[in-house]
Amino acid sequence: MSQSQQHLTVSVWRGKSEGAFQDYQVPHLENQTVLDIVTWIQRYLDPTLSYRFACRVGMCGSCAMTVNGTPRWTCRTHVSKVARDGRLKIGPLSNLPVIKDLAADMTAFFEKWQRAEARFTPTKTRLDPIEQIPPSSPARLAASAAIECINCGVCYAACDTVRWNADYLGPAALNRAWTLVNDVRDGGQDVRLRAISANGGCHNCHSHQSCQVLCPQNLNPTASIAGLKRLTAAAFIRGGLK
Amino acid sequence: MLERHKTDILILGSGGAGLFAALHAHAADPSLSITIATKGLLGKCGCTRMVQGGYNVAIIPGDSIERHFMDTIEGGKWLPHQELAWTLCETAVERVQELENEVGCFFDRNPDGTLHGKAFAGQTFDRTVHKGDLTGIEIINRLMEQVWARPIGRLEEHRAIALIPAAGERAIAGALLIDIRTGQFRLVEAKAVLLATGGGPTMYLYHTPSGDKSMDGLAMALRAGLPLRDMEMVQFHPTGLLAGPDTRMTGTVLEEGLRGAGGYLLNGDGARFMEGAYENAERATRDIVSRAIYREMREGRTTPNGGVYLTMDHLGPDRVAKMFKGMVERCADCGFDLAGGRVEVVPTAHYFMGGVVCAPDTSTELPGLFVAGEDAGGVHGANRLGGNGVANSTVFGGIAGDKMVRWIGQEPHRMAPDETMIDEEMERARHPFRKPTGSVEEIREKLLSIMWDQVGVVRNARDLNAGLESLEELRQQLLRDTGIVENDLAFNLSWHDWLNLRNLIEVSQVIASAALQRENSRGAHYREDYQDAGSLVDSRFIIVRKSNDQIALTDQQVDFTHVRPGETLITDKAGAPEAAE
Repeated sequence: MSQSQQHLTVSVWRGKSEGAFQDYQVPHLENQTVLDIVTWIQRYLDPTLSYRFACRVGMCGSCAMTVNGTPRWTCRTHVSKVARDGRLKIGPLSNLPVIKDLAADMTAFFEKWQRAEARFTPTKTRLDPIEQIPPSSPARLAASAAIECINCGVCYAACDTVRWNADYLGPAALNRAWTLVNDVRDGGQDVRLRAISANGGCHNCHSHQSCQVLCPQNLNPTASIAGLKRLTAAAFIRGGLK
Repeated sequence: MLERHKTDILILGSGGAGLFAALHAHAADPSLSITIATKGLLGKCGCTRMVQGGYNVAIIPGDSIERHFMDTIEGGKWLPHQELAWTLCETAVERVQELENEVGCFFDRNPDGTLHGKAFAGQTFDRTVHKGDLTGIEIINRLMEQVWARPIGRLEEHRAIALIPAAGERAIAGALLIDIRTGQFRLVEAKAVLLATGGGPTMYLYHTPSGDKSMDGLAMALRAGLPLRDMEMVQFHPTGLLAGPDTRMTGTVLEEGLRGAGGYLLNGDGARFMEGAYENAERATRDIVSRAIYREMREGRTTPNGGVYLTMDHLGPDRVAKMFKGMVERCADCGFDLAGGRVEVVPTAHYFMGGVVCAPDTSTELPGLFVAGEDAGGVHGANRLGGNGVANSTVFGGIAGDKMVRWIGQEPHRMAPDETMIDEEMERARHPFRKPTGSVEEIREKLLSIMWDQVGVVRNARDLNAGLESLEELRQQLLRDTGIVENDLAFNLSWHDWLNLRNLIEVSQVIASAALQRENSRGAHYREDYQDAGSLVDSRFIIVRKSNDQIALTDQQVDFTHVRPGETLITDKAGAPEAAE
């Protein structure tokens, strides 16, 4: 362990929905991420501190937490980028139940993904050849622009509409639905359009844009949801949505 | 104290193998109850998600299954189980079509809309199907969506601690788990069990796999008395990020394409050490580059953190930032300028070729237990080709799902579990609560150093023997002096760190024993005291078993069922460009 004179004061949420922030003094080391801070506390100060991580490099979306009031991946957030006056405040993601300490229960997030019909509906089988689809076709460009979501839940935790309306599907699920309505191979469009225009669907979005500001993958769910709004409105006018 | 559940099929692990097994089993018989138990969140832990390169498949015109197979056998230095390797190459075609047409993945296309295959080291055809450099995310996200959509049971944040045999019979009866969220023990009784927890050599100072990986599957298989093969074969990736000891980012992969595109490796003196000394310089294969870097490190020509530099600057920072967007951003997040500066790198333990001995239908010696993915041994032999990892997990995961349904058709009864074994295994997991509190982290750091220094990139008998001695001392230190306070077992990561560490030490002992046994240098295994590859026609693979806590090693002649050294299955010359790095 390299030594350093500098210390950070780190307030960490302990408990479930009821609980309190507890302060820890943690040495500020070189190349330290917020996940490393949390790990240091668990290894050297309090072995019962609970948190979730897996890949440690921004691919799995398991380690998102609220850092100084903002949801972020902790594995790729350098401490120097977020610490203010030597202080950090770390809590679990908002808008989700807390399992313990820094670990949120993401079940509702994934259930809404399903409610949005945000999964592929096949029209072909494993015995068919792979479809020839030019990557520059407009629909494919739209799908590709929004596809690299790693379901970390940062947008969902940042979304005011989710906070006010527990029924709202949220940015990530709707963003995935948008990639699917642009997938020419998909056979589930009618069901999906009904799901995303129902209560809790895309029309609830107030375009506050927190999702696109905070998405660590630089995706723009607000734009995807706007696309869905246009599409469902057009389908409604045509009489396609009952 | 113990909660009990019953299911028809229990799947341990939620990577490519586990999720494919669940989808296939459900499709084959929707009336069966299927339960996936996974250490993290479904599809979000483990390594399938971390696949960058892509998926090897002979699907592009001009390629052939024979050619993919020959590359796999040559890459594995003639040690692969040829029936397993053949099944991999043959089934990969249907599996990729399934991923595209049924699961919903969309892989990169050529401008005309046909599938794009990229060049990958050690292959004679550009066959690696991919989604940018984040192929794993596309595959696992689409699989997760399909699994969530079906009535498949999810035990998330449940780790398996033991395979439980049937009482009085040589068959599997289920698995004992810990519900990480509550700390509760949970027994899941099943008619068929799939071991698909993934390997992941995280016992090395520098390693790439997901942080949740700790060889749980192989440690459980060893305790169940199952034979493991190729346990000396640990693949090192030459360019892991080196960011010092205080960050979990250290060891994570900087992709192969950086060297392929013309990146330079410089030692601590700022000199290129690959050029001139090695054919293809920085573009040589993973094992050669890893050893060359290791040599610089041993001779002390290192960077401040003890590695070498990777630099891309001469290719034009703007161009690099465009070509390797993901990698450049990742480095920038931790404060390094990959596009225009020098980044410290180090070889890093990446993949484990060894695993449970199994048949091409994924069955094992223990009736009712199946194995797929990185927990299975034999597909890759002495070295895995980049792009054959995710092909392996998805191909054999699907096969396991189909096979388990057929198995249950033949053996429809659930066996009564061995209750004594359940009690013993719960006691074994509670072992640290009866010991004085100690530093798990200190032992983990020692383990990582021992494996890196003595059982690592370059091996010899003296170091391996010393390593074995140190590993046994370390195991004793963990068991004797290093306890955990039993005050709050809900989501208690420190307890799980302890359990992880015990598994890692036990599997490390097997790796070191097998490495000592193999007195030649093949693929990922390099002995400086036995540098010759040995006779290829007399190739033997090592089998390890554990009984009464003792490691027993045997070896067996490779059965050349498809092709013998000196022969090839490739008859056509058409359409195959030479391999590019």
